[in-house]
Amino acid sequence: MSLEAVPRYPFAWTPMFEMPEALRDLRKEPVVEVRLPSGDQALLVTRYKDVRALFNDPRLSRNIARPGVARISESNELFADPEIDPDPPAHTRVRGLVTRAFTARRIEGLRPVAWEISDELLDAMQAGPQPADLNEAYAFPLTIRVICYLLGIPAEDREQFRVWVDGFLSVSKLPPEEVGRCRANLWKYLGDLIETKRREPGEDLVSALVRVRDEDNNKLSEHELHFWVQSLLIAGYLTTASQLVTSTAVLLNRPDLVSQIRADYSIIGSAVEELLRTQLMGSSIGTMRYALEDIPLEGYVIPKGSSVMLSEESANADESVFVDPFGLDLRRKDNHHMTFGSGLHYCVGAALARMELQVAMEALLRRFPKLRLGVEPEQLRRDVGGFLEGFVAVPVIW
Amino acid sequence: MRVSVERDGCATSSLCVYTAPEVFDQDEDDGRVVVVDPAPPAELYERVRKAARSCPTRSIRVRDTD
Repeated sequence: MSLEAVPRYPFAWTPMFEMPEALRDLRKEPVVEVRLPSGDQALLVTRYKDVRALFNDPRLSRNIARPGVARISESNELFADPEIDPDPPAHTRVRGLVTRAFTARRIEGLRPVAWEISDELLDAMQAGPQPADLNEAYAFPLTIRVICYLLGIPAEDREQFRVWVDGFLSVSKLPPEEVGRCRANLWKYLGDLIETKRREPGEDLVSALVRVRDEDNNKLSEHELHFWVQSLLIAGYLTTASQLVTSTAVLLNRPDLVSQIRADYSIIGSAVEELLRTQLMGSSIGTMRYALEDIPLEGYVIPKGSSVMLSEESANADESVFVDPFGLDLRRKDNHHMTFGSGLHYCVGAALARMELQVAMEALLRRFPKLRLGVEPEQLRRDVGGFLEGFVAVPVIW
Repeated sequence: MRVSVERDGCATSSLCVYTAPEVFDQDEDDGRVVVVDPAPPAELYERVRKAARSCPTRSIRVRDTD
């Protein structure tokens, strides 16, 4: 096959407010070869049942900091860290220290906090000029304040760390020196934060992890502590903020869907799930794995040594699982989408993200009965070359 | 119906607790699933089965006894 015939991945977001067109016929083959932004090639698993099963398959290692694994980006190693073992049992040990902070009870305890912050931000937005950008006026301050509250990070520091996090997640937006500078600054900032928590512990998650680390080095190394705090911060706001803004833009482009929610706010939960299914933030490059042995699928063998991605977005479009997968059904039942992954690496923050999306979307729609886009829909731009590719700005009027 | 779980496999998605809180809870220490009602009443069967289907690690076992 010639290089030109191998499709580029991540797939382009066309049409703009729907699932990518490239997903239409993808499941004819169980595995397709794709070309990453680095130019390297990798295998993409396309069918729901395979994606779901392989998320739980120990023959696929998540340790991609090894020679021969396809590089996602030419300029950035992203989450690959040779000092972190992301497979069981090491990963299971560390993950167990974090999950307790994300149980349903803890997350429901944060729901009133999310409402309070939403209301406060909407007050400010309402008193300010129109149009307002949903990213800056609402989604980022909201999600950052919630995760900072949980982790014990001063939310006032956000102007600093946002720049570094954007650099950390650059796939092809920034040159390598700039990425390196951002990564170093973020690492240093979090190191200082950890030292502060060591001296003056609070009731937050970072303090709890520092305590675990200082009591028993075998449970958590200093590097693991640092790495997890960084991952929790980054995954804790950027994904949810992008999802919120992109989902809202999709809704505002479809007034019929907004009316459905306004007529019955009890569907907010299933609406959020459907928007998660159809507007998966970024792509599945974060699922990159390495095949430790040959893995036979129906009519195909993933060869040992392959770099493999499990396509959450293709699984979410699987017509054998979802009725009319390219349509938006805000009341869809049994919507077991793959947006948060599956198996033992299932997104730690899924319940938090769901709660924030439900609260933020309901609070926004209730506050502004005439909310609409402040620009023509075609003028919106995605953050191409970033990790998530959400809309860079979504001006709204009310 | 008898409900059991494999705690070691639990990834703390919380989906079961949101789907059938009468039957599933989570441990305060490690966040993993706990069954609070292993023999739930018939009106909960549908939601328990839904929780089992949605579990990302397939850690919920449902056995029919009726």
